[in-house]
Amino acid sequence: MKRMRCAGLLRDQLLPIRHPSARMFPPHHIRRTPHFTATTTTTTTTNPRPLSTSTRNRNSATTTAPAPVETSNPNPPATTSPEPPQPSSSPPPPQTAPTTLPPCRSPTTSAKLAALHARLSLHPKFPVQTLARALIHPSADPNPLFNNRSLTTLGSALINYYATEWLLCTYPRLPAEVLRAALSAYVGAKALASMGREWGVESAFEPRADVDAGLLQFKRLPPGPEVEASGYKWWQEKGERWTNGVPEEEATASFVTSTFAGVYLHEGVGPVKQFFRQHVLSRKLDIDKLFNFVQPTRELSSLCSREGFEPPIARHISETGRRSIAPVFVVGVYSGLEKIGEGHGGSMNEARIRAAVNALKGWYLYSPAPQVDLPSKTDDDPHAPFRPAVIDVGEVIV
Amino acid sequence: MPVSALQAVSKSRNGVGAFILQCKRMEFNFCDWAGSSKGMRHDRSFLKHSLPQFAKENPQIEIIVAPRPNKIPIIRGVYINGREKVIAVDGLEIQQILQKAQLLRDSSGAKLKRITKPVISLNESVRGMFSPFHGEKHVI
Repeated sequence: MKRMRCAGLLRDQLLPIRHPSARMFPPHHIRRTPHFTATTTTTTTTNPRPLSTSTRNRNSATTTAPAPVETSNPNPPATTSPEPPQPSSSPPPPQTAPTTLPPCRSPTTSAKLAALHARLSLHPKFPVQTLARALIHPSADPNPLFNNRSLTTLGSALINYYATEWLLCTYPRLPAEVLRAALSAYVGAKALASMGREWGVESAFEPRADVDAGLLQFKRLPPGPEVEASGYKWWQEKGERWTNGVPEEEATASFVTSTFAGVYLHEGVGPVKQFFRQHVLSRKLDIDKLFNFVQPTRELSSLCSREGFEPPIARHISETGRRSIAPVFVVGVYSGLEKIGEGHGGSMNEARIRAAVNALKGWYLYSPAPQVDLPSKTDDDPHAPFRPAVIDVGEVIV
Repeated sequence: MPVSALQAVSKSRNGVGAFILQCKRMEFNFCDWAGSSKGMRHDRSFLKHSLPQFAKENPQIEIIVAPRPNKIPIIRGVYINGREKVIAVDGLEIQQILQKAQLLRDSSGAKLKRITKPVISLNESVRGMFSPFHGEKHVI
């Protein structure tokens, strides 16, 4: 009796399960909404340009945005009216196009994009369409009318200029190598990518026609061993290796750079300088930690002879525990009667070298006490009062 | 050998220049049937009366409203640092739910930890470490 009951229970449980080969209905995911199936077939089989199917959204973007970057027109007959093309007047879309797209695909209805716009405190003059375009890396859509390549070019020129002029005016005696390192620390790809992450930009897994407009779209590198950095030859444009895919860092950096370009185009010169100050120059960088001296004592003596100072002399200032396990010596470097640097160390020699480094940093990190005017101050008004920066003779050649 | 340089990356100081709100997404989940979702739903509905105002005040946050049938209502905050925080709001009134939403909005997303030092700074101390070799000599 008991056995029978168990068998009955088992039979009941087994009833709804069928063998896969005897399945009467197709799997449920095939019978979902039509746009889903259309999209999958599109992107996997026939469509050469994954994002080019979203013509409707592009049309609305080109017409609503007053941006100069958006003026070029991919489909002249369709873009004349702000409304989506009527099925009666325009030819039916090709078979490969997805029939419907999720509303978040359009920049104007994407919640992520609106949130990103508000999070960056962008002016309403900055349209979300430009922000959406800044999120499309050329590896996702090679058409230059729809990717952020032109914006990136403009933006990188802007931020490199503003960073260079600020560094040169604030630290006029910075050696060239250190200046370059400071530039890359402020506006290099790594810094820009971390800025993009701190802006809360999310990446799409794959560039597709139905991806949310607020996601960063780029083609990911295939898994495998790390690709060497020089994936392209010196005569190639940077974009020519994008066929393989790019690391996320590069795509995020391109979005951040393009955002600067968008602020410049839509809001103007003043706002982009303010945006740069707020997002780049507000970051923390210890420039004195970037120096790597090889022969500081030699460098200091050639500096003194070049500048006509008296030759540097290291003098012992104080010490403790000379015969203990942890001695400390304090040494000062003097040029004549003036102490130009001081250092401490576990041995006399270490303290002397530290003192020389201290003196050299004091020279190289000179900063004019009242901040001088940046050259870009005259961008808006050519007759603005302008106090020029100090121009130094350059670093010491040892 | 002239001076060479070390590579570094500048660190962000949120709020020194621009301020980025750390909460980037909030999900409001509720059940249509269960009584614990009453404050969220229809009669004393948070979703109907408070949420539109909340969303308007905080445009930086992407807001998602989704059903979560047969479970207690929750608010989930997703943060820029990649973490998320969830608060269960079962049986709460409309005002209490709003307070929980504000709590999630103002959070940084970091794990809660006890702060014992009065100052946390990226900068070195201005005064520096004590040095017995400087200042006035102490005479015994």
